[in-house]
Amino acid sequence: MTYTPQTLDHSRRRFLIKTGWLAAGVTALTSCSGLIPVLPTTANPKDEDGSSWIQILADGRVRFLCPRMEMGQGATIGLSQIVAEELGVTQDQIECLAPDSDQLGPFKMTVGSEGIARFSGPVAMGAAGLREHFRQLAADKVLLPFDQIEDAAGGFTAAGNFIGYGELVPDQARIIGAEYRADVVPRFADRNGNSRAIGKSWKSPELKNIVTGQTIYSRDIAVPDMLYGDIVRPPRYGATLKEAINRGAETLPGVVSVVIDEANDLVAVVAKSPFVLADALEKIETTWQSSPDEIPDDILDVSLYRTRGDFEHSLMDEGSARSADKAAIAVTSANYTTSYMAHAAMEPRAAVAWVREEEVEIWCGCQDPYFVRGRVAALLKRDQKEVVVHPLRMGGGFGGRVLCQPAEEAAVLSARVGMPVRVQWDRETEFQHNYFQPKFSHAIDSGLDEAGHIAFWRHDFVSSPIIFGLVPSPFASILDAFVADEGTARGADMPYDVSEHKRVRYSDIRTGIPTGAWRGLGAAPNTFAIESTMDELAYSAGKDPLAFRLSQLENNGGNSKRLSEVLRRVGKMADWGKSVDKNLGLGVAAAVYKDQTFVAVVAEVRIDQQREQISVTSLWCAQDCGLVVNPDQVENQVLGNLIWGCGMALKEKLTFNEGAPGQLNFDSYEVLRHVEAPRTFIELVETPGAPPVAVGESAFAPAVAAIANAAFAATGKRPRQLPFDYDSLQIQ
Amino acid sequence: MIKLNGKQVPVSKDLYEISLLDFIRDQVLLKGTKYGCGQGLCGACTIHLDGIARRACQLNVADAVGHEVTTIEGLAGTSGETGSDDLHPVQKAWIAEAVPQCGYCQPGQIMTAAALLREKPQPDADQIRAGMNGNICRCGTYERIHRAVARAAREDQS
Repeated sequence: MTYTPQTLDHSRRRFLIKTGWLAAGVTALTSCSGLIPVLPTTANPKDEDGSSWIQILADGRVRFLCPRMEMGQGATIGLSQIVAEELGVTQDQIECLAPDSDQLGPFKMTVGSEGIARFSGPVAMGAAGLREHFRQLAADKVLLPFDQIEDAAGGFTAAGNFIGYGELVPDQARIIGAEYRADVVPRFADRNGNSRAIGKSWKSPELKNIVTGQTIYSRDIAVPDMLYGDIVRPPRYGATLKEAINRGAETLPGVVSVVIDEANDLVAVVAKSPFVLADALEKIETTWQSSPDEIPDDILDVSLYRTRGDFEHSLMDEGSARSADKAAIAVTSANYTTSYMAHAAMEPRAAVAWVREEEVEIWCGCQDPYFVRGRVAALLKRDQKEVVVHPLRMGGGFGGRVLCQPAEEAAVLSARVGMPVRVQWDRETEFQHNYFQPKFSHAIDSGLDEAGHIAFWRHDFVSSPIIFGLVPSPFASILDAFVADEGTARGADMPYDVSEHKRVRYSDIRTGIPTGAWRGLGAAPNTFAIESTMDELAYSAGKDPLAFRLSQLENNGGNSKRLSEVLRRVGKMADWGKSVDKNLGLGVAAAVYKDQTFVAVVAEVRIDQQREQISVTSLWCAQDCGLVVNPDQVENQVLGNLIWGCGMALKEKLTFNEGAPGQLNFDSYEVLRHVEAPRTFIELVETPGAPPVAVGESAFAPAVAAIANAAFAATGKRPRQLPFDYDSLQIQ
Repeated sequence: MIKLNGKQVPVSKDLYEISLLDFIRDQVLLKGTKYGCGQGLCGACTIHLDGIARRACQLNVADAVGHEVTTIEGLAGTSGETGSDDLHPVQKAWIAEAVPQCGYCQPGQIMTAAALLREKPQPDADQIRAGMNGNICRCGTYERIHRAVARAAREDQS
């Protein structure tokens, strides 16, 4: 069947049914039964949650069951500093643990750079409540009034005598927690510049273990008597198993079980040794069938929808189109495209599952252990209470580890063999069977009035669902009828003044390619289109791009001020306006991430005419992220964001062929490497009194756009499609 | 026998054809050497074979029989410093610069850096970048890695 855009139906769901892609899923094992699908854990933390996370041990040390999963973002460190601030303890007095799923009630999945922004408040309340509880214990012990018990490092002083927390733990008790108290005042919220821990660059307590190879990641866990399993996974999204013929896999030494369950699309081998798995799977011949239709590569093309004005969601439509068109004198129209991209975390995922009659145990790294728990319980038809997830550090996440598919695979195999089973994905599986950042296709029309202000801004785009990307069908089609995916639209509301008409419309279309959270969600694609257009407007008006942006930030109150401030700051840092070599170009871009983090980036790009190469030589970044709990951690996050900006601008692209990715390893899916890494200059601007906000994804989006704008400055050719290189810009 | 981190490890012949990386991780149970790509593209599994940085996923066990293999767990022992708490100068520099984010690629980065510095004790900035280029860090800590390698070179000199 050949796909022709002209036959595209207005209802995407009918279209998808017609082409048979509705049943596509992430893996063969995602078909959990039940009327209501298991969903990720999305409830935000409340102040009262904090009291269950923090306890004092018998020796006076603090146990912090950290409700954030660590994958390198450093949230466990920053939150430990909040605990330390409230309890007046040092870093070595805190034992920060990743809680097992039966130790704490469900907490929100670790996404969205919310570790400090959303959890610092509840952590501070919990720790402060515990402090006041201990102050009462101290008062009772020394028979002095509560208000005569003064704060001291590691405890209190009463009438000049020190009382450590450990002395206040009753003899029989091993651990003391405290009830939630709404009346306590965290020091965190009432800080007068004399913090013990907040604002200090604590280093990760895991550093020494990391550099000596002692840190335990998901791939490193071993359980006594563990067996090793692997699965034949479908070669194409939505493919189902037609036939599996075993040609003697069970005869190989060490093979314990060969599983062929055609009804459940399951072909697997379990063995005593991991070394025999590949050979054993080779001996099983599988045939898969899938819909004859291919996903058309060009369905995510904004032009197809724009001609009919056929967009599912209107993010905003303010002002009058007619008066805007009248006012505009300089007009720019352009399309921008970004590619499908993979998380490509360095650690391909893995898990160990042990299914027993009384309990199911899972060891894995995951951004949402309670989601894993729910999915495994549904898969095994067990009560969630019988499933315990032991979370481990992840070797990178970037949004890609909300699911842990090997945990589900291992659980199914362990249930069959009655022993603990380890399943590890290889790099190719990691590329093929996870979900992806969707492609984005944008069209922006904009015009300036006589005074040089933006008169109108009309931004249309199409992409795929991100936040709801993993919702299985048929629930997805019900959900899509009512809900606009905010993840796809992240960053789509541009921060500049528009005098007459501002309209943003979009469609989030399911294509059969699994899509989901990826660093910053829609922010980088949307910002690339917005900030490229801002650059086009500046050049069309003959204005300096940085001065032009500042001139469009006058009417949006505090947000405009904070964005202006980082723009001015980054201009100073980069010595914006200096004359540069003709092979160099400087570009600027700015963005507000999640309406809270203000970032501006200047990029310097070098064009090597001889080698026909474009490289990013320097990046300057000024970021206002409010209160900075740990400057070194934040700077490391910004550094990572800037490197991702280079990768998205110049390298990363995933293509699909017959429902499978065309790139399965780092030779074809290229990420930035050492020699390509630019010099970076990072400054954090702290607006007094501003709370801590998201930093894990904030600098990424403007970095991408600044690099594209710098390439234009250097070559006069504007990158309209990412990634771009010397050839695609047609420089010669 | 393979001399692994200074100790002779017996190897049965039926394991000769498996990758050295699998052998180190799942037979010897040293988990510090990481699997990243299985194709020699990312450097996460970098070890030293007779002092030279090699990708363990691209070697078979047979390639290492009769040779000396050093993994991240044994690196400190090769620095000539004594005492169980001592770290290799490169590991110390990694801590001083607080390089890691997720940390997964860092054992491989450190092994490459240590071999680089053995070969070129005072590399310039371009030599550091070129020498490290086979190791991917998806978190993007490259600049801190460069600083750490330069620091290790500097402190080794002093």
